[in-house]
Amino acid sequence: MADQRTAGTEVPAVRLTSISKSFGAIVACDRVDLTLHRGRIHGILGENGAGKSTLMKVLIGLVLPDGGTIEVDGERCQIRDPHDASIRGIGMVHQHFSLVEPLTVWENVMLGDTGRFDAPAARRRVAEISEHYGLGVDADAKVGDLSAGVRQRVEIIKCLRRDPSILIFDEPTSVLTPGESERLFDVLRQAVREENRAVALVSHKLDEILHATDEVTIMRAGSVVQRMETSDADAPMLARAMVGREVSLRSEASALGLIETVAAGAGDDDGEGSRDGEHEGTGGDSVPRVPALRLRDVVARGPDGRVSLDGLSVDVFDSEIVGVAGVEGNGQAALTDLLSSLLPAEAGSVEVDGVRVEPGSPGAMSSAGVAVIPEDRHASGCVLDMTVAENLFLVDIERIAKRGIYDPAVMRRDAAVLIENFDIHTAGPDAPFWSLSGGNQQRVVLARELSYSPKVLVAAQPTRGLDVGAIEWMTNRLRQVADSGVGVLLISNELEEILQLSDRVVVLFRGRIIGEMDRADVDLEELGLLLGGAGAEADAEAAA
Amino acid sequence: MSDQQTPQAAAGDSGTDPTASGRSATAPSRLHEAAVAAAMYLGCIVVALFASALIVWATGGSWQAVFSALLDGSLRAPGRWGETIGIAIPLVVVALGTAINGRAGVVNIGQEGQVMMGTAFATYVGVRLGGPGPVVIVCLLIVGALAGAMWAGIASWLLYWRRVPEVLTTLLLITVASQATGYALKVDWLLLAPFREDRSVRNQVSEQLEADTRLPLIDIWGNDFPISAFAVVLMAVIVFLLFKRSVWGFRMRMLGRNARTAQRAGVSTVKYGTTAMLISGACAGLAGALMLSGGDFGNYRFTPGFANNIGWEGLLVALVARSHPVGIVVVAFSFAGLRAGSGFLAATGVEREISQVVLALLVLALLVPPAILFIRERRRALSATRDRT
Repeated sequence: MADQRTAGTEVPAVRLTSISKSFGAIVACDRVDLTLHRGRIHGILGENGAGKSTLMKVLIGLVLPDGGTIEVDGERCQIRDPHDASIRGIGMVHQHFSLVEPLTVWENVMLGDTGRFDAPAARRRVAEISEHYGLGVDADAKVGDLSAGVRQRVEIIKCLRRDPSILIFDEPTSVLTPGESERLFDVLRQAVREENRAVALVSHKLDEILHATDEVTIMRAGSVVQRMETSDADAPMLARAMVGREVSLRSEASALGLIETVAAGAGDDDGEGSRDGEHEGTGGDSVPRVPALRLRDVVARGPDGRVSLDGLSVDVFDSEIVGVAGVEGNGQAALTDLLSSLLPAEAGSVEVDGVRVEPGSPGAMSSAGVAVIPEDRHASGCVLDMTVAENLFLVDIERIAKRGIYDPAVMRRDAAVLIENFDIHTAGPDAPFWSLSGGNQQRVVLARELSYSPKVLVAAQPTRGLDVGAIEWMTNRLRQVADSGVGVLLISNELEEILQLSDRVVVLFRGRIIGEMDRADVDLEELGLLLGGAGAEADAEAAA
Repeated sequence: MSDQQTPQAAAGDSGTDPTASGRSATAPSRLHEAAVAAAMYLGCIVVALFASALIVWATGGSWQAVFSALLDGSLRAPGRWGETIGIAIPLVVVALGTAINGRAGVVNIGQEGQVMMGTAFATYVGVRLGGPGPVVIVCLLIVGALAGAMWAGIASWLLYWRRVPEVLTTLLLITVASQATGYALKVDWLLLAPFREDRSVRNQVSEQLEADTRLPLIDIWGNDFPISAFAVVLMAVIVFLLFKRSVWGFRMRMLGRNARTAQRAGVSTVKYGTTAMLISGACAGLAGALMLSGGDFGNYRFTPGFANNIGWEGLLVALVARSHPVGIVVVAFSFAGLRAGSGFLAATGVEREISQVVLALLVLALLVPPAILFIRERRRALSATRDRT
């Protein structure tokens, strides 16, 4: 029944026909067709939850479809697990790295192998692949010492080692600098052109799709809405197809990854000129002001004993958004932990509104007025097993308590107000927190953090894992927060997000701030160099 | 009638769910959940009774006699439910303490040792401290609680000073407590009773508490039990309120469910964790003191086997009741009933090994449903979170 279109001249590498998959009531894929050809890069574009990851998991054997057929090289087959997939020459590079840091590159590549273990051969093979594709990975380097970009290349070697003819990349650039992304796509093109492999590139970033792919399939809510040659596509058209309505690029550009568009627009004729003006005044050094948050030469060690903050200094004044740009793993997590009272400072000082705070002691930062939207809200932002109402009062339960006793009814009532104000979709104040969707969980966190009238709000990757609608909401809220007089420290790996929101941009590299510029003066090229560590003495070269 | 008790436990337990976990709070399924839990308890108990009957019958015994002995021993025979209450008292106290440390996410499995230490110190005070009876009673209870707290405190101190796992320390300290109290019972400057006609030379036994230093007994229709029964119920209510309404209980729960979030919100792991551990130990110690002065164990004397697994069983009660204070009272009474009833099994002519198996099966029947409920909840929570990531 699926063989109506086999009439083409060459047999496609992969043909998925009418693939369906639902999880309970949620339909992840609804009769999706997808064809991958050899020698081409096929982009799969869609918002979070559009079904693109599920589709790829079907192909790699991690998810069994409810219906539909899979053909690999014209032969109909079933893929029951990743092993099946690898036998058929399908390999996947996952979004999240699965590398063991203390081991070397070649050891990581060999992990999971069975049978006789030939170390010299393995090293040779890794070196060969690395050289062949120009990956520049040292087989004997310790993975823990490598930057995110190089680690990604290690993942690619892991995949290429089995010489797959069909390659799947799942959101490969989420932790890469723009330069590293470029490099990755070069490798991809080479693998495709010279070796006649088929590549599927899953992404929600328009510019990536436009730059790297030959054809594109756009998914929305589990179905394919459009497919086209990339040469026929442009950004607004893709965005429209992906979101399902006209997109005002300025407000949603960040979500869609349109670096160029934003950067070009934001330069001079920005619609937010009024805000910029305001900050020129405050930014001037003529009147010394007390910053809402001041970090001076802070040194801190992570749980592994490594120095993760190495003399970091930054100021956040009230009513401004300071964006901390940087490639993941340069101290962002430690900075957030420090400001969450989870990590003590070994040296240096932290001041909130001119008052010194000891960041390591429990609750010190929050009682000093530093609110935090943590990077991983499940780790330090909420208690999954408590109710929504309880989660809204985690930090300042005392506000509704008298002599150590609180009234759950009052808590519920106050929570209902917050739920209303922050537009949190939930069954009610008594619903367990885990029953909320990611975007709503994030709203609860924000609602709580703002409810104790903080002086500073630290937002770490506030939109990670959220869909376009939720991102827009969060972005607008952060602006409102800053406008209401709170200083905002925005820590993000998404450069677009930083460029879109910040009044001032600082660059974090290896635990210190190595560059600072006003939003209006941002030069993308210079910023890219800083992100890669240029300007941070000589050791920067080694990393890049 | 034995099966009448246990479904009660079931109903009590399932009804308490929402407060214990805050989860069944989603209204529509609450009744359904309770019904499922009740059915599960009923099913398990029926299966256990059936299996027990089968085993007894297969080994040539009379299953009717076994069940009727259990009933007689726990409730039906004259004076027996007083005995059951007497046994339930220390179980409730130990279990309440366990519920508190469980809530804070600290593990204490050394209640048995803490019971021993509590009893030993209480005995010393009860026997040596002169003065008016009531004063001595209050003192011995306080000292017993302090001794239990001290014993748990060692584990807590090692945990926060050197990160020694508290699971290990609390467990191993049982052995130390057992040896230490055993030694104290060997030397007469500590606990050993002076040689008199009522003790043989080799006996390790303490002096008996004087009549005026024993807890007063209440007699209802020939059933007597110490007045501490009321205090213990009051204690359960207090713990219930602490869990439900106090900032302290709220923060304990936060710490137990997510230590990082708690630390950020100002809950000191060391402070709250230590407090929880000390309270838990104090409860076990107090349980020991109550056992000594209540008379249902060891006839007001401390002996090496005095603790008699009450610490372990209290831990079990807390697990079965899923740390809910009201559930604890109900479950403790059921367990105490089995314990009291088992005394009557010997007279049925059924082999001791077989009657032990029957008891174990009945305990198992109470343990399985909470485990299943827990796994179900966990799975639901996990799948709910996984769908989102």
